[in-house]
Amino acid sequence: MAGSETRRQLILEAMVRVVGRKGYKATSVADVIEEADVSRTTFYKHFEDKHECFLAAYDLVTKRVLDAVIANCDAEQPWLERMRVGLATVVEMFALDPELARTAIVEVAAAGADARQRHWNAVARFTEFLADGEEMAGNRELPENIALMAAGAVSGLIFDELLTGRAERLPELLPDLLFAMLVPYIGPSAATAEMRRAAAG
Amino acid sequence: MAQAGVGDRWRPPRGRHRLPPEVVARSQRERLLEAAIRVVAIKGYGAMTVSDLTREAGVSRTTFYELFEDREACFLAAYDSAVDVLVRRVTKAYESEVEWSERAAAGLAALLETLAAEPALARLSLVDVGNAGPAAQRRYRAAIQRLTPLFEEGRDFAPGGRNLPANTSRMAIGAVTGLLADELVAGRGEQLPGLLSDVLFATLVPYIGPDAAAREVDRLTR
Repeated sequence: MAGSETRRQLILEAMVRVVGRKGYKATSVADVIEEADVSRTTFYKHFEDKHECFLAAYDLVTKRVLDAVIANCDAEQPWLERMRVGLATVVEMFALDPELARTAIVEVAAAGADARQRHWNAVARFTEFLADGEEMAGNRELPENIALMAAGAVSGLIFDELLTGRAERLPELLPDLLFAMLVPYIGPSAATAEMRRAAAG
Repeated sequence: MAQAGVGDRWRPPRGRHRLPPEVVARSQRERLLEAAIRVVAIKGYGAMTVSDLTREAGVSRTTFYELFEDREACFLAAYDSAVDVLVRRVTKAYESEVEWSERAAAGLAALLETLAAEPALARLSLVDVGNAGPAAQRRYRAAIQRLTPLFEEGRDFAPGGRNLPANTSRMAIGAVTGLLADELVAGRGEQLPGLLSDVLFATLVPYIGPDAAAREVDRLTR
C-alpha cells in the first residue's frame, strides 16, 4: 500500500535525522515519531522497537551511498579514476549531510553487535567495488582482506573528523583519504602523487 | 602469570581491620573495575547496572558512590585500565626489538595474543566502547593516540617517510582496528592471532608499499 510504504520511509528518514543529531543512545521512539510526524501506533506497525528501526535505517543509508557511488562511477573508467570519483562521492554526500555521516560512521558503533555487523557488511560491499584494484596492482600477492584495510583506514580518518571537527570539512580531507585508500595497492610514492593531484584539482 | 593489574583478587579481611582506608578503597575500586569488565562482557554496557557491579565486586552501594559518580564513570575507569594493560603489553613487546618492522611485528603479536586470551578485555576496548556514548568515544580516540608513536617510527624507517601525510599513523591504526573489529564482531576473537600477517601488512604498507611490506611480513611471520 503506497501510503504505508511512504510512512515507513518517513520513519526511517526521521531515525537517520534524530540519531545523526543526538546519537543513538539518546534517541527515543518518541523523538523519531515527532520528527516523522507519525503516530506511535504507526511506528509499531512497521517496527518492533528502536533497534529494529535503526537497523532498517542503516540499510537505507548504506544503499543510498552505494547507489550514488555506482551512479557516478563508470565501469569503463580506469580503476584509479573510479576510486577518486567514488571516494569523492562519499565525501561530498557526508559533507552535505552531517547527520547522515554521523549515523553511518559514528553512531552505528553504538547500536549493538548486529548494527556493527551490518556496518562491516556494507564496508565489504563498498570494498568489493575497490577489489578490481588487486588486478591493477600487478602480480604481487596481496592479502585477501586488503580492501578491508583500505576501508578501515579511510573510515578511521572520517571517524576522527566527525568526532572532533565537522562533516562540512570532510572535502578538505579528501587528498588524505585518497592516500589512505590507495596506498595498500600502489604504495606511498604513487599514492602521494594521487594525493597531490587531488589537492591541486 | 605474575602480571599485576586487572587480575588481582586480594581482599581486605572482613569486618573491622586496621588497614589504611586508602588501601581498602584501592582494592574496592579495582574489584569494581574488574566487575565492570566482566559484566559488560556478559550483558553489554547498556544493560549493566550499579547493582550488577556492587554484587559482582562484593561492595556496598554506598561504597560504589563514594568511588564513582555513576555507572558511566565506572565503565570509563574500567576502559582506561583495560587500555593501560594493552598499551603496557604492546609497548613492552615493541621495545624488545630494534628495527621498526620487527618492533611492529612484536607489538602487534602481543596485541593479538592479549585480545585473544582475554575476550572480555577485547570486547570492552574495541566493541563496547562504541556503545557507551560520547565520553567513551573520546576515550577510544585517546587510546588510539597512545599507540600512535609506535606507528610514527615508520617515518624514520621508510625511505622518504618524512614526506608522508601527517596522519599516516592514524590510517595504519584504522586499517588494523578495522580488521580486528571485523573478527570480533563475527565472534572469532580466539582466531585473532591468525591475523598477524594481515595487521602487520596493514601497518607497514603506508610506509614502505605493498611489495616491501609483503616481503617483511613473509620474513617476520614465518
